[in-house]
Amino acid sequence: MPAIQVNHLCKTFTQKEGCVEALQDISLQIEAGDIYGIIGMSGAGKSTLVRCLNYLERPTEGEVIIDGRNLAELSERELRAQRSGIAMIFQHFNLLMQKNVLDNVCFPMLIQGTKKNAARARALELLRTVGLEEKAKAYPAQLSGGQKQRVAIARALASDPKILLCDEATSALDPQTTASILDLLLEINRKFGITMVVITHQMSVIREICSHVAILEHGCLVEQGEVEEIFNHPKSKVARDLILKDRPEGSWEGDATWEGESRQRPLLSADKKLRIVFSENSAFEPVIANMVLKFGVPVNILRADTKNVGGVAKGEMILGLPPEAGLQQEMERYLTEKGLEIEEVTDDVDE
Amino acid sequence: MWTSETIQMIISGIGETLYMVIASTVAGYLFGLPLGILLAVTDKDGIRPNAVCYKVFDTLSNIIRSIPFLILMILLIPFTRALIGKSYGPTATIVSLVVAAIPFIGRMVESSLKEVDAGVIEAARSMGAGTFTIITRVLLVEARTSLLVGSTIAIGTILGYSAMAGAVGGGGLGDLAVRYGYHRWQTDIMFVTVILLIVLVQIFQSVGMHIASRLDRRK
Repeated sequence: MPAIQVNHLCKTFTQKEGCVEALQDISLQIEAGDIYGIIGMSGAGKSTLVRCLNYLERPTEGEVIIDGRNLAELSERELRAQRSGIAMIFQHFNLLMQKNVLDNVCFPMLIQGTKKNAARARALELLRTVGLEEKAKAYPAQLSGGQKQRVAIARALASDPKILLCDEATSALDPQTTASILDLLLEINRKFGITMVVITHQMSVIREICSHVAILEHGCLVEQGEVEEIFNHPKSKVARDLILKDRPEGSWEGDATWEGESRQRPLLSADKKLRIVFSENSAFEPVIANMVLKFGVPVNILRADTKNVGGVAKGEMILGLPPEAGLQQEMERYLTEKGLEIEEVTDDVDE
Repeated sequence: MWTSETIQMIISGIGETLYMVIASTVAGYLFGLPLGILLAVTDKDGIRPNAVCYKVFDTLSNIIRSIPFLILMILLIPFTRALIGKSYGPTATIVSLVVAAIPFIGRMVESSLKEVDAGVIEAARSMGAGTFTIITRVLLVEARTSLLVGSTIAIGTILGYSAMAGAVGGGGLGDLAVRYGYHRWQTDIMFVTVILLIVLVQIFQSVGMHIASRLDRRK
């Protein structure tokens, strides 16, 4: 039985200006213990979708089944009880600003009626898990963004949840802090076996920790599956865009610090381009060099990078092929024969 | 002219003013706080929207707040007389002060509670908190500073109203200012009472703000 099952979910917001269809016919299954990513540009409906999973938003149509219980059939009281098993963390942390760290972590236990002393002991233990014991008496305003998110994670764990929903949990953080929070989430997933749903607009987050991903665009589910599969063979345009935009912050944006980069730039929008993904076993043979030797025609390496996909290093390269169509086809065939994942890049890479 | 009698009179005036202000503020909050919570919670963006309930209390507050205080006091004379047996003096003034203060305090509380970050409320809901828990453990806690600032403003306003009640025999410093300063042309007494009123407002204001900022954990 999947931990979370969503069947034909639709959500329509009725406003003065008319109806907005935020989500259309979404169906997905999330297995227990998975880290499931939901990615999309802003406005794609990710946040609405995640709020339907604990019924903070009621779906207009369709059903959400958590551990075999259809949330639509629960009374208000049962729903509140169910929610305590589904914790949530947020982009802006949403801590009580007037309460200290310890009281913040105690808060969900207080709601459930846990005795104060027991709650405090458990809160301290959780603060140890997230590495913030010594900040127990501090107030959120005295903490950095990363520390606040750690407190929020400790708070989320306080109710012993089976599911953790992360709504853009790293979007307000810098890259280093993001990495440390992602490590923490991964550790928690392994240690406590909590099923996680990770909402983000950053492909890097999905790559780093998720096993499965669903891609949303304009309220529709355009693609879903294993992260590795989608990284190797993105089918939809959104998926391709998200993958191509996935590079370390600032490396391609703004003024190029490396002159060669600005010279490369026009080439990125010209000719036929191929995106190649190397997995571990294909990285031994010098495929590109052999291809150039075999055909006697140079190819242009427009970008090369390695990326961590679910803990496995993947090579990613974008090649600019020579203009002759016949040669292009032969080269593609050659690369496929060598067992590489290839696909044509049709749009301007440096979008 | 500054006989011990006059001084005694001024001292008891201060006492009456303090009595009226403090008693009215306490009673005002007793009713105004629940009113403000009700308004904040039942508004369309509140945690438990209820259009009918909101509209009723919203309109009622507006009606009372739009009656000038002096006229409200006169309108309330029969009610005051029925309640405490007479329509003049400090205790009688408290009745009208409370009636005027409730919608005013209600509005202050409402706006303080609406300032609370919607994200924190959502977090509480995601943990399974019900309406009552959110009010007592989130809204009132997070809005603490703003509520205290609001209460110092409320005290200042009530003090001003209590002085106005002097015009119809309300007692306190305002009463002295009207009787001696206006009816008997004793400008010096009026001058002294005005200064005392200013000092009182200053004290309430600075004590209130000091407590509010001492209790604020956002910095």
